[in-house]
Amino acid sequence: MRSDIPVVVTGLGHVVGRDCDSTRFLKSRKLRKFMGRQDELAVVAAAHAVEAAGLPPALGERCGLYLAVGFIPFERDDLDLLVNASMENDRFSMERFSTTAFRALNPLLTFRCLPNMPAFHVSLNLDIQGPYWVGYPGVGQFYVALEEASAALACGAIDVALVGGVADQDNFLVQHHFSRIDHPLDADALTSAAGFIVLERQPDAARRGAALKARMVGVDLRYCPADPFEQSSAHEESTTVAGVAGFGPASLAVALSTAPPGVFTHAVRSRDRFLASSEWVIE
Amino acid sequence: MKHRVAVTGMGVVAPTGQSVAEFLESLLSGRSGAGPISIFDPGSLPTRIAAEVKSTSSAAAHWSVGAELAPPCLRDRKISFAFEAARQAFDAATACGTVPNGEGGLSLGIGLELFSMEDAVAKRRGDRLPLNRRDRLSFLQTPSDLSVSMLTARFNLTAPPATHVSACAAGTDAIGSAARMIAQGRRRWMLAGGADSMINPLGVAGFCSIGAMSTSNDDPAGASRPFDRRRNGFVLGEGAALLVLERTSDAEARGATIYAEIAGYGTSFDAHGISEPHPDGRGAFQAMRRALDDAGVEPSAIDCINAHGTSTPKNDAVETLALKRLLGPRAHQVPVCSTKSMIGHLISAAGAVEAVAAIACMNQGWVHPTINLDEPDAACDLDYVPHTARRHEQEYVLSSSFAFGGQNASIVIRRAMQRRRHEAHEVFSWKE
Repeated sequence: MRSDIPVVVTGLGHVVGRDCDSTRFLKSRKLRKFMGRQDELAVVAAAHAVEAAGLPPALGERCGLYLAVGFIPFERDDLDLLVNASMENDRFSMERFSTTAFRALNPLLTFRCLPNMPAFHVSLNLDIQGPYWVGYPGVGQFYVALEEASAALACGAIDVALVGGVADQDNFLVQHHFSRIDHPLDADALTSAAGFIVLERQPDAARRGAALKARMVGVDLRYCPADPFEQSSAHEESTTVAGVAGFGPASLAVALSTAPPGVFTHAVRSRDRFLASSEWVIE
Repeated sequence: MKHRVAVTGMGVVAPTGQSVAEFLESLLSGRSGAGPISIFDPGSLPTRIAAEVKSTSSAAAHWSVGAELAPPCLRDRKISFAFEAARQAFDAATACGTVPNGEGGLSLGIGLELFSMEDAVAKRRGDRLPLNRRDRLSFLQTPSDLSVSMLTARFNLTAPPATHVSACAAGTDAIGSAARMIAQGRRRWMLAGGADSMINPLGVAGFCSIGAMSTSNDDPAGASRPFDRRRNGFVLGEGAALLVLERTSDAEARGATIYAEIAGYGTSFDAHGISEPHPDGRGAFQAMRRALDDAGVEPSAIDCINAHGTSTPKNDAVETLALKRLLGPRAHQVPVCSTKSMIGHLISAAGAVEAVAAIACMNQGWVHPTINLDEPDAACDLDYVPHTARRHEQEYVLSSSFAFGGQNASIVIRRAMQRRRHEAHEVFSWKE
């Protein structure tokens, strides 16, 4: 895919690390109890991007949200609670699971790990009523989100696209996943992060006097199918910003958000067989 | 330039049928697929019923197609379902002796990852990861995107795939966004649909914990009762449906049977509540309206609605409100049916399976019934086609999915042109 659509980046926002408090951006503090870390990361990064773009906090029907979400997170303590309450004679007991463990199950856990919940919380708190696209779980899907957003802007379906990636990787379940694949990753190498970019058609951005943050020069997205049970190559990702990679679907947006002025490139050969690259000019 | 998008292949694995013909027959007969949970012992969970895919059907043998690639993953049923549905769809699309033109892609709505409590216990004991690569990848949790890699490898789909996780809207999103990619010239042909099975201990317990499911354990077949006064939650189902989508001009040129066209697609956010729809049906209306706009048709063109119709107290009333706003005075004249009344809620596969239901029924000139609708709720006063199927010619059908978390998706399905419709009718015929 070559990007010849005249879209520009008018806002960038990101957050990296476990500690993230979205309270400032919530319509109601009560909502926070429903939020997992990936939800908070997404809301904070999205709100920063919208603020940077100088857009109003209520985006309405003409804004679309295009989001790639990382592997489902789950904490060890939550799992241990379920497992411990389900044990009988040192074995899993469905009867114990369906009684003792079920009573101990926090209903909010269901809300906190679902991959469509970051999109919900972002849409609610930024009042986005436009179209959406929610993909899973790697940086390749961020590129598909970017493609969808660009297409929606090009055909006039929306005026503003909020494109993001979020991955809560600093938890038990995601660490388990990355410990069992070919070329496993240590827990230390897994960081939670979210990044968002605001895209608009150039004439629209100019009309409202928005400051340009970056321009998309070109995007190339390819895919090479292969049996997932065969030996896979290691994830390779590079950007012009040193040390900003490996954030799963959040990588590109985080890197863009931290890049200095000048030409910026990102390239990835992912485990899930995406070959993607993009070139941008940071203003 | 917007290309027309044809459906040239369909495959389905559903609780009431494991081929399009079998599924159609059960839909028009008004047969429920719900029963006591047999896949695992539900113990004393509040809900102990579900609409399971039965393994006794002859189609189960075909699951070995998937097994060739991934025997260990058969513990994650949705992968097997996806493989079988894809096989059926691809076989149908190539029955004319030609294959779709150009580079193909996959657009798949996928459910949550299968999580094994037994493996969690083993991990707690300190058991090591299995040595075999295949076993390792399904130990404790089977990544949902595994099905994407397996399907693209099996069918050599080289265009970048899209993996949708918009929960209950994912199946409709997968079909709608694939159709849009083809319409806009970004993909040439796509395998599109959804697969899900959350009938496992953690899946059922999770839905029980938020009070979303029916607890009518003594009456499984009557538990899913969309739009009925006594509805008390959804019945969890499982399955998959895949469609082959391609440019209509390509399909005609290669002589493929065209079952229908995907004419429009629309999505929206409710931006309202985490587990309840906007009280005015704002988001549902917007998604349906956008799908109609995309198709270039007015609400007056819609002949039938395949509703989200979950059998939950809030959804059915709000969906009714949204339909009244969309259709105006015609709302009471347009048949509205809920496939979930028979097969339950297939979550990420729901929209795809319901699209197959809509297309198969449309091609026969029938609307399938909404079963168990004995006493319509006062807030649900449309024509829901209660109990028995109805003869009704349709040119345009609107099929919608409204997800937990306020993600709404609708597609407009257009009947194939006359000469192609005859072929589609012949493939899956149903007689009273």
